[in-house]
Amino acid sequence: MVRFWIAFVLTLGLSPAMAQEKLAVVASFSILGDLVQQIGGDRVAVTTIVGPNADAHGYQPKPGDAKAVAAARILFANGLGFDNWMQRLQKSSGSKAPMIVVSTGIVPLKSQGKAHSGHDHGAIDPHAWHDAASLQRYAANIRDALVTADPAGRAYFDARLANYDTALKALDAEIKAAFAAIPADRRKIVTAHDAFGYFGRAYGIVFLAPQGVSTETQPSAQDIARIIRFIRETKAPAVFIETIADPRQMERIAQESGARIGGKLYSDALSPPNGPAGTTIEMIRTNIRELNKALAPQS
Amino acid sequence: MSEPAICCADVTLGYGPHPAVHHLDGDIERGSLTAILGPNGAGKSTLLKAIAGELKPIAGYFDFGARKPSIAYLPQIAEIDRSFPLTVFELLALGLWRKTGLFGGLSQQDRHAIERALNAVGLIGFENRKLDTLSGGQMSRVLFARVMLQDAKIVLLDEPFAAIDTRTVTDLMGLIAQWHAEGRTILAVLHDEALARAHFPSTLLLARETIAWGPTSEVLTEANLRAARRMVEAHDPHAPVCEVA
Amino acid sequence: MLYAHLIAPFIEFDFMRRALVGASVLALSAAPIGVFLMLRRMSLVGDAMAHAILPGAALGYLIAGLSLGAMTLGGLVAGFAVALLAGLIARITRLREDASLAAFYLMSLALGVTLISARGSNIDLLHVLFGSVLALDDQALILIGGVATVTLVTLAIIIRPLVMESIDPVFLRSVSRAGAPAHLAFLALAVLNLVGGFQALGTLLAVGLMMLPAIAARFWAKTLTGMIVVATLIGIVATYAGLLLSYHLGLASGPTIILVAGVLYLLSIVIGTHGGLLLALLPRKHLEA
Repeated sequence: MVRFWIAFVLTLGLSPAMAQEKLAVVASFSILGDLVQQIGGDRVAVTTIVGPNADAHGYQPKPGDAKAVAAARILFANGLGFDNWMQRLQKSSGSKAPMIVVSTGIVPLKSQGKAHSGHDHGAIDPHAWHDAASLQRYAANIRDALVTADPAGRAYFDARLANYDTALKALDAEIKAAFAAIPADRRKIVTAHDAFGYFGRAYGIVFLAPQGVSTETQPSAQDIARIIRFIRETKAPAVFIETIADPRQMERIAQESGARIGGKLYSDALSPPNGPAGTTIEMIRTNIRELNKALAPQS
Repeated sequence: MSEPAICCADVTLGYGPHPAVHHLDGDIERGSLTAILGPNGAGKSTLLKAIAGELKPIAGYFDFGARKPSIAYLPQIAEIDRSFPLTVFELLALGLWRKTGLFGGLSQQDRHAIERALNAVGLIGFENRKLDTLSGGQMSRVLFARVMLQDAKIVLLDEPFAAIDTRTVTDLMGLIAQWHAEGRTILAVLHDEALARAHFPSTLLLARETIAWGPTSEVLTEANLRAARRMVEAHDPHAPVCEVA
Repeated sequence: MLYAHLIAPFIEFDFMRRALVGASVLALSAAPIGVFLMLRRMSLVGDAMAHAILPGAALGYLIAGLSLGAMTLGGLVAGFAVALLAGLIARITRLREDASLAAFYLMSLALGVTLISARGSNIDLLHVLFGSVLALDDQALILIGGVATVTLVTLAIIIRPLVMESIDPVFLRSVSRAGAPAHLAFLALAVLNLVGGFQALGTLLAVGLMMLPAIAARFWAKTLTGMIVVATLIGIVATYAGLLLSYHLGLASGPTIILVAGVLYLLSIVIGTHGGLLLALLPRKHLEA
């Protein structure tokens, strides 16, 4: 009887201690944060610096961020020029934790050239997470880092990676099937957003950006003319330019160019958890849905 | 004895609680030619304003008879926006409102009437002058011409001869005499006693209250004039509430 | 070469044609309103009206969501209410029109903001309501056309009492009772042109096309009709040139049109034939009599 009680008390005593074993990690932005959570599960406590619907480009770190970084055992960054501020953050926080560049090992794409949102990516396009195959690389890199820091969780991480891989493969097949129904000459999208190069490469969609068009603020007649002319020339069936806020303006472009107006595409961040793009896989699914809707042959 | 043109029934006028015209009571006979005289602040302009309908009496009322006759009112400081791009001719054409109404055009007769009116006030050739190029006296004469064109039964003139030279005054008096002969009822606020004595059969001597009202020779006596001058121009801050019914 | 620059853009693009027609028709309709507003010292009414319509748009949104029709209708009702109340108060009390209008539009704006924040959403309603000259759909063109027709017909009816009322309201009161209705009808027309203009073209363009050409016309014309004609012409020229500049130089269209109108205004001040500065500086010949 006494042995039972001793065992009980010992177990009680140990469980909080075991619960405190969660690995504190930092991810630079929401998509990475989701991926780390998917692989790390209950064994990690993820702090994401740039949250949902926020712009990670040119982010200015805040003092609270340095605290989170200092307390973290692993730092996850995308790399490819996307979140260079992570290096500065690491330095200023004095953290000695390893900085994992999650995109290591993928085949990089050259940047399509056009700067957007007032900044430059440099020569390489960093948006590798739109390709389900690249995501598998991302996940594997994350698994490796987690195992190095927490060897006891190897089996756990491996299992979660396997699950996620399955999901990614299913997603990959889903995407290919979705676009199979679309004839090759319709696989063109006009968008001012240059974030979908990897998606385009992986699934055979051509993303075209009209040259010299600024849609940031009030579009000029020149901008509208260029977009319409471009759509006519490329015979693209759909146009996604969500930075033109005025729905009537979009309607006008659609009317005159014959293209369909596409909905919102998620490129650089997830939506809040209850939104249509709460996780990376959901985000890609939502994007496929919108692209499909826009590209489907006119009924 | 024909019905009077205007019955003033114990009229009190003012812009606040202090009266500008205090208990004016009397009749303005049909077809009369009456001068209204008095010191500054006597309420002469106020009286014309009220008869013209611009001001409501504080107490009492005006009785115009069964049907209110047409009234032409020549105000002292015309609230006219002279910067508006209109010519003399156009202003006078608008004066024919009663004839033309909202849409009516100008007939040949109307044009001749306008010409005649300009001639009568000595402004031939001023048809296309812009309002903001006229002198004060010229503007007065244009408004005089407008009164002519209105062809009204009752004519109210508030200091019509201010800023006008003697020769033109004679011409305008001739016009007034003619209106009188046509049977119109005319009231004119004047500052010139001599003019009143020479041309106006009736006079109302007003100093906030009626000093005298009747045939000019009887009204403009030394005693009456002295009494009028005694009127205090300033408002009395300690005046009690008037209890007269 | 000239053709390529001046005509071709309008041939090639439907949206350019619509922009040219839509803005020109509004210029035609708004010019006489602008001239009268300027002559009556009410030049800032346009701006005030842009704020005054908020509670109406808010109510429209609360009732029917982001429906352009409901919000426009609401905006019109609010605009009419403010303009007419301000006009009435100015007539029956000692307040002048500018003070009366200022009081009412401020109250209206505050009411609108309260309505919106009470509902809990911070959506920028007016941003949704205000249109753009490059985005004129059929509905917007019909709206502009309708406004122009109503304006020109109504003006033809009320022009006489309106002029009289502007020059000598005392006289008008003595001969006719048309003064007040004419004045209120004029205010209603102003609201119609402004709100219709906001919905189709946005505030800057609607107010700008109404006032700037009229103000510039002061320096060219001596008669009322002349002013209206010159104002219309300036409005149409500014539209045409502004659209071309927006097309060739990539500038925002609405502001460019107004900037061109502004340049024309500055030019008018200097070289205008009626009170222009240059003319005043040159030695002038005078006649013998």
